Parts: sequence; C-alpha cells; structure tokens
Amino acid sequence: MRSKKKQTEGVFLMPEGDLKRPYSPQGVLICLLFAVLLGIGLINLFSASIGASFFWTQLRNLTITFTAFVAFGWLIPIKRVQAYAYWFAALVSLLLIVVLSTGRIAGGAQRWINLGPVSFQPSEFAKLTVVLCVSRFFASNRQDAPYRLRDLTPLIGIIGVIFLLIFAQPDFGTAGVCAIIAVCQIAFIRVDLRSLAIVVLSAPIVAAIGWNTVLMPYQKLRVLNLLNPNLDPQNTGYHALQSLIAVGSGGVFGKGYMQGTQAHLRFLPERHTDFIFSVFAEEHGFWGSVIIFIGFGLLTYIALDIAKHAKDTFTGLLAVGLGTLIFVEFAINIAMVMGMFPVVGIPLPFFSYGSSAMLTVCVSLGLLISINRNNTGVSKR
Amino acid sequence: MTKIHKQESMLVESRFLWASIGILVTLSGLLFRLWYVQIYQGDYYHEVSERNRVRKIEIPAPRGIIYDRHGEVVLGNSPFYDLVYIPQYIQDRDTTFKILSRLLHVPPHRFETRLEMAQGQPKFLPITLKRNLSQHEVSIIEANKLFLPGIEVRVAPRRDYGPDVPPHLIGYLKEIDPEGLEKLNQSAAGDNPYLIGDLVGKQGIEQRWESYLRGKRGYRLIQVDAFGRQTQGFEENGWQFPSVPAIPGSDLELTIDKELQKVAQDAFNGKNGSVVVLNPQNGEILAAVSEPGYDPKAMQNGLSPEDWRRLQEHPFKPFLDKTTGGEFPPGSVYKAVVALAALEEGIVDSNKTFYCPGHFTLGNRLFYCHERHGHGTVNLLKALMKSCDVYFYQVGVELGVDRIAKYAKALGLGQLLGVGLNMERPGIVPSSAWKLLVHRFPWAAGDTPNVSIGQGYDLMTPMQMANLYATIANSGKVWRPYVVNRVTNHVGETIYEHQPSLIREVTEIKPETFQMVRNALTAVVMDPQGTGKNAQVPGVTVAGKTGSVQVVSLKKNRNQGDVSMSWKEHAMFAAFSPAENAEIAVAIVSQNDSVGGGGRSAAPIAGKVIAAYWRLKDERAAQIANRAPAAAGSPQAEAVSHEKQEKAN
Repeated sequence: MRSKKKQTEGVFLMPEGDLKRPYSPQGVLICLLFAVLLGIGLINLFSASIGASFFWTQLRNLTITFTAFVAFGWLIPIKRVQAYAYWFAALVSLLLIVVLSTGRIAGGAQRWINLGPVSFQPSEFAKLTVVLCVSRFFASNRQDAPYRLRDLTPLIGIIGVIFLLIFAQPDFGTAGVCAIIAVCQIAFIRVDLRSLAIVVLSAPIVAAIGWNTVLMPYQKLRVLNLLNPNLDPQNTGYHALQSLIAVGSGGVFGKGYMQGTQAHLRFLPERHTDFIFSVFAEEHGFWGSVIIFIGFGLLTYIALDIAKHAKDTFTGLLAVGLGTLIFVEFAINIAMVMGMFPVVGIPLPFFSYGSSAMLTVCVSLGLLISINRNNTGVSKR
Repeated sequence: MTKIHKQESMLVESRFLWASIGILVTLSGLLFRLWYVQIYQGDYYHEVSERNRVRKIEIPAPRGIIYDRHGEVVLGNSPFYDLVYIPQYIQDRDTTFKILSRLLHVPPHRFETRLEMAQGQPKFLPITLKRNLSQHEVSIIEANKLFLPGIEVRVAPRRDYGPDVPPHLIGYLKEIDPEGLEKLNQSAAGDNPYLIGDLVGKQGIEQRWESYLRGKRGYRLIQVDAFGRQTQGFEENGWQFPSVPAIPGSDLELTIDKELQKVAQDAFNGKNGSVVVLNPQNGEILAAVSEPGYDPKAMQNGLSPEDWRRLQEHPFKPFLDKTTGGEFPPGSVYKAVVALAALEEGIVDSNKTFYCPGHFTLGNRLFYCHERHGHGTVNLLKALMKSCDVYFYQVGVELGVDRIAKYAKALGLGQLLGVGLNMERPGIVPSSAWKLLVHRFPWAAGDTPNVSIGQGYDLMTPMQMANLYATIANSGKVWRPYVVNRVTNHVGETIYEHQPSLIREVTEIKPETFQMVRNALTAVVMDPQGTGKNAQVPGVTVAGKTGSVQVVSLKKNRNQGDVSMSWKEHAMFAAFSPAENAEIAVAIVSQNDSVGGGGRSAAPIAGKVIAAYWRLKDERAAQIANRAPAAAGSPQAEAVSHEKQEKAN
C-alpha cells in the first residue's frame, strides 16, 4: 500500500509516475545481453560467410527484426499480446498449411514461403505461437484444482495441430522443440498426478509407434547415427564429424578470428546456419565458448526471474516459455554441434543466419522486456 | 500483497527452483562436453584438423552437347588443362612465380595480374593462372610439383569449337564476373552455385539455355599433407570421404541443319550482314549466319584487352547478332508488303498500270526510280519483277502510311518475334502516330514514298524479313521462329520439347491476294528479266524479292565503285522455295555490299543456299532409300512436279 501512496504523489508530478518506479536490473540486463550476443553473433557470421553475402543480408534483415524488438518491448502493451494470442496462432497455422501445399522445396523439406524478395519460415514463428497459446490458455481457463487431462484437451488440440503441421513438412527438430516448450510451460502449473502418470506411461508406446510409422528414414538415420557415428560416415555422420573436429581443434583459446581452417575449407556444411557454433568454437576456443554459455545461461535465468515476479498467469507463463524457447534452442544446437544430439536443424539464437529465426528471438526478448516493465509497476494502478 | 500475487499468478513457485537446477545441470553437461572435446581431446582434434587437411577437388561438369536437327554434333566438349593457384597452400609466392615463369616461359607479372583480378576471394579457392596448358606443359609442371606447393594442374571439360560453329547463334563462354556471380547465385543457381572462374554462356543459345546446358559440379575429397601432396591417413581409420560425381548438362537438339549452315556461311563469306533460313511450315530456324563474327574459342580462353578493344571498335560490330539484333531498312524487299496492302485495299489489281518515267514528283520533291530511264508502263507483276520504285511511290501515296502500317503489323512486323536469342530488336513500322510520338513531328507527305519502297523510317531484322517471306509463302501464318527443338538430360529423358507456335494468323489478307503476290515474286526470280534471276535454282521454283538500300543519297553519282565502304548500298534478298507449299524461306542482308545491289550480290547467295537445301534433302532421301529400298519418291521429283503445277497455273 506504500506504493499506492507513492503513486498518488507521482501522479501529481508526472501522469505515469515513472520517476518512482523501482529500479529493475532485468530490463537493462536483457538489453545488454541482447547487444552482446547479437554483436558476437554478427561478427562470427561475418567470418562464417566469407565469399557469400549472408552477413550483409543478415544485417539488412536486422533493421526489421530490431524494429520488432522495440515494438514488442516498449510500444505494444502485453495485454494486447494476450488478446491476440489465438489470432496469431490461427495465422501461423494458416501459414504452415500454405507451406505444406505450396512451399518452396529447399533442404529436402518444404519449409519456406517465398514472397518475391523475402522468404520466411513459418515453423520458426510456430515456436512463439506455442508459447503464446499455452500462456493464454491457462490465463483464460483458471481453476483452483489441479488440471486434469480432460481440462487440458483444448490446449493439447491446439498444440497438436501445430505440432503435426510442422512434423508433416517434415521438420522433426522444430516440432520437437515446440513440444518441449509446451511441456516445460505446463510443468509450472499444478497438474493432476493421475493424468501425468497416464501421459508418462503411454509415452514410450507412442514413441515406439511413431518410430515405426511416422519418422522419415533420414531422421531415423540421424538418431541411429548419434548412437554410432561410424554407421554412415559419408552422409549423416559427415556433418557431425566435421563439426566435432572443428570444435575440438579450437582448443583452449581457439585459432583466432577468421583463422578457422575447418570452417573456411568448406568442410562444415551449413556453417552459417545450424553449425555456426562450430565456427565460433574453432576460432575462439574454450574460453570464448564459455562466455557464450554464460550469456545464454544468464538470459534464461533472467527470464525465469521475470516469470517469478510476474503479476498474472499469462505474463508468468509467457516469460517461462520464452526463456525455455531460447534455452532449449541453445542447448539442442550446442549439443548437436558437439555431437551429443542428432542433427535436427535447430538454429542457434543470435548466431545463425536466417531472418525468421532472428525475428523470433527479437520478439521473444521484446516480450520479456514488456513483461518486466509490466511487473515493475507501470500498469499497477 | 503476497496473497494477491499468488492469486493472480497460477505458477507454482517451487518449480522455479527445479527449473534453475535443470538449467544448471544442462549447462554443466554442455560445459563438460565442451571441456572434454576442446581441452581433454583438444590436441587430438587439433592434430586431425592440422595434419589431415582435406582438400575438396571440384569435378567440373561438362556442358550439354549441342546437336543439329540430324543429330550431328554442332558443339561438344573435350578436356583442357588449367594451371591453378591455391593461395592457402602457397609458401613463397615470388619464388613460385619465378619457377613457373621459367618453366612456362611466361613473364611473372602475367600471374600477378591474374591474382589481382581474383582479389578478395577466400584463400582456399583456387585461382586459374593459365588456361589450356599443352601436354608438354602439364608434364613439366607435374615433374616439378615438389617445388611448387599450392600449384596444381586441373583438368576440366570445355567447349571444343570446330571451325564452323556459328558464334552468334551458339554464343560463347566467358569467365563469370563477380557481380554476375552474385546475381546468378541469388536468382537461379539453387543448390548448384557458381564459383569464381566458372564459365557462363554469354550469348546465343549458351546464354539462353544456360540453366539447362550447365551441369552440376561434383566433388571428391582427398587428404593432403603440408606440401599439398595426397596422403592416406584418415581413410585408414575407417572413414570414407564423400565423393559426388558431376552430372553433365542437358543436351540440346537444334533445328539448325549443320550442312546448310556451313553452305550459308561459306556463300556469305566476306560480306557483312546476315543470312537467315527458316522453315515456313513451322518456324524452325534452319540456318542463321551473322557476319562478321568472332572466335568463340578465344573468348573461352580469355581475351586480351587489346583484342577485346579491337572487336569492340570494329565498324561492323562483331558481337551483335545481326539475325535478330540488326535492324536494317528492308528496301525493295518491303514492296511485297505494300503490294499486299494495295491489293487488299483495292487500290490496284493485277491489271492496273502506272507509267514510270524514271522519277516521281510529289509536291516540290522529286523521287527517282533506281532505273533512271524509267520502266515505261508497268502493272503489279512487272513492278515487282523489275522492282519499279515509281509504281510503289504512287501506290504508297494512294494507300497512305497508316494503311501500309496496318498490313505490316498484321504480318507481324514492328514487334519482337520472341525468338529469345540475344538482344532481339522489334524493327520499326512507321506510321503517322509513331512519328508524332517518337520524332515529335507530324507525318509529312514526302515521307510516304520513301516508306513504300522500304527506305526512310522502315527497319526490319533479317529474322523478320525471312519470317515475312515465310508468311507470304504459307498464305498468312506468322510462326514464331525457334532454334531449340528438344532438350534431353544426361540420362536421355526429354525435359523440354518445343511445339511450334503461331504468333498470329493474318486474317486481314485473303489467300488469293497472297497467291497473286506469290506469282509476282516467282516472276522476280524465274523470269529472265527479273531482278532476282541470279537466285534461280535448276529444277525448283524460287520466289523472292531483291532489295538495294541506299545508305546515303548519291544524287547523280551512281557509280558505287568509288564510294567509301560505309556509304555503299545494303544488298537484300528474301526468297522462298518452291513457290507453292514452300519448304524453305531465306533472307540475306549484306551491309554496305561491295559487289552491288540485291540482285547482283545477295540473290546468288540465296540461290546457293536453296540449291544446297534441295541437294541435301535429296542426298538424305537417297541415304534413307539405300537403307530401305522401298522409299518414297525423291524430293527432286516432288520439286519438279511443283514446277509443273506452277506452269499449269
């Protein structure tokens, strides 16, 4: 109630009462981390894209994505985001259907929509959609008793449709990330133990059926390849092996900026997108990589902290989801590059080339800032 | 306050602790793996990456082979050896160049300029120092390889140009320039990008069909030691390096007849201009010559700046494909259009006569006939046969320019034919509206006589000229000329097949009118008094029209002998054969001809081409007949029967 008093004083001085707002390090920290990671990412992309124009394209696209960051961070109120969450989901689902029917064939799967000069990947936005949908669902369907499977049916339906649409592209990695994000978000909600048990017990059966019926042969190979890298070195193992050599040869301090031989000899496939971290690890070594790890860890921790101080379910779950989104992408990508995980085509936030992924990350950080501003009192009247 | 907080957010607070633990565990796991890979096993991987440098050897794909209509190879490939410099593996550049220059007898600065040209590209990409090494040079380099780390000889299939490859039609290959590289890679290349040093089609079919002709490069990986010599090592550990074979480009089957093309080229030798041979039944281009040409082989090997400048400054523009890109005033060849228009509009009929005193007065201007003494009384047949200018001055003035333009446009003139080769030009069909628009000046009555004999503002490309006469020959079908009949990929599947397409059907002109003009055009060649009698071919009927275009007004000085080169007349001739149901249409345009006008200079060439066409057809029929004795009647017999029909008419 003390704050209320301050508020009235503030109103006398300034209508918004911004002067008396408690100091929040999170917002500043996010901006700082955003700048640092983005800067390192761009510098690294420059090295990875010698002889190609990826760096300049990325820089050009950054003007758009940075606008999105500012817009979602400071201009669009979080309530508006909540209101339009389902509409956004509908739009993205529509785009996914368009991709399935007309998308450009690239990289062995239909993932892009091509609109003249710009082409984008709706499955990247789908991750954000999942985060928004889960948050919105629990915000609008609040109940005091733990959620049972029956209560969650509409949510599972929405997520399932998005999941299947991405899976059908086929993009196993992105679909998996969507599922993981949803599960992590739901983990912060009280769920009925019995429902949980049913899901956990039936999971292996579903997985077994899925393995035999849904998974594409190349996806199976990638998983098997993880278990035994010597299985098929010419094709699927080649990416993983070359990337492992690149990371390993970096050593403690790396080979120096623009000096990476593995990357510049063009052995690393997809070195500007999914395997970009191997370029970084080769050139900057162990300590350079540790800085990146700290950066992403800190970012995730801040997201959780913001979620903890959230004032309502929507913002709280949203912050959790956004933190999960960034952390899961980071962890899977790094694990993939270091040969701990199958090659699944998940970009590294801030580092990988690609405007859709960059837009997703920028919007995520913008939303986090927006939630943080919401927490620290602007709208607490 | 905490209570309110809890009510608003349903998030379970204890889960944050679990989440933090989860993040920490994941991060430590990744960190451990990073430590394990980079520090614990770092030396091992470092050694792997250092000692076992793997080099990617690009396997260039051969371009598709270009065949003529009978399956003869017009342009194929053969292997060439290039000297290649890989900056990354070079230890001492100056010494290397010194050794190379001594071995190959090439001054070192030549190599330096090659390096400067490739500046800014990544260090691992090879730079071509010298193209097309001889066998001897290859063996010298290979013998001294130990002293030349970073220098390699690479073999690449490349175009093997014979002596009579038509350069403009086929086009030439040139090393891709950096801007073009960027553009192509962004737009068309897809998963098969262009690299610096790649050759791309720059003109004609090579450019137009580049995406089909170029193959897909393959590669194989080899391991090399610090001296760039191939080693085994990685492969011993059970790893196999991937190798991807190159996929050759798709083959083209042209509508060109190689033999006929050669005949046309030989017949036209020494002149500047163009020869186009079409099939009036479907628009197939049977031969296309544009002179002067250039040597596509020299273009592929890289032209010296002096040679390039010399070609650029040549007065007759060797790079211009004159068949579709050269616009010429059609001269008397255009009179057929005026005749069609006049007949169709009822201004003349076959009996109407005009008197030609050798000149024509309109207002205060005097227009001369090419025959200064006049042709006397002429009707349409005679006017075309003797190419009487005065007759067409009068007809043209009565018609008016806009009515001429209407029929010229109906015949497909003044617009692009859509051949899709080189820089095609539409030509010009002048009309009063056109002049107002382009010259900002109203049409003057004095312009019309000039236009009606194909001079003045009229412009036509040789391709259009041939197509115009093809249209007259087939009574009003304007076919779109085409040159690529079929594309087959490397496994022999047909991936493109051309269907002849009509640009338009001329409904404005009645078939009888075409017939009348055809009869007159037949007289031009077949009549001993006709201007085109030099195009006569024994055994078949030929119909055609000569044209001689004055480049500058030479008032009284008609003696072409002492006029400077660029002031001489253009000699034109357009023809088709046989006169009815024609199988071949020919257009000859000889710029600033040194021999004389269309009748003296161009008509004999057309005669040779038409004669060669029938001879070749005869020979091929005989060949088939030899193989299968019960073959159909020879084309000669057919041709003779045509002639008989003609006479019966």
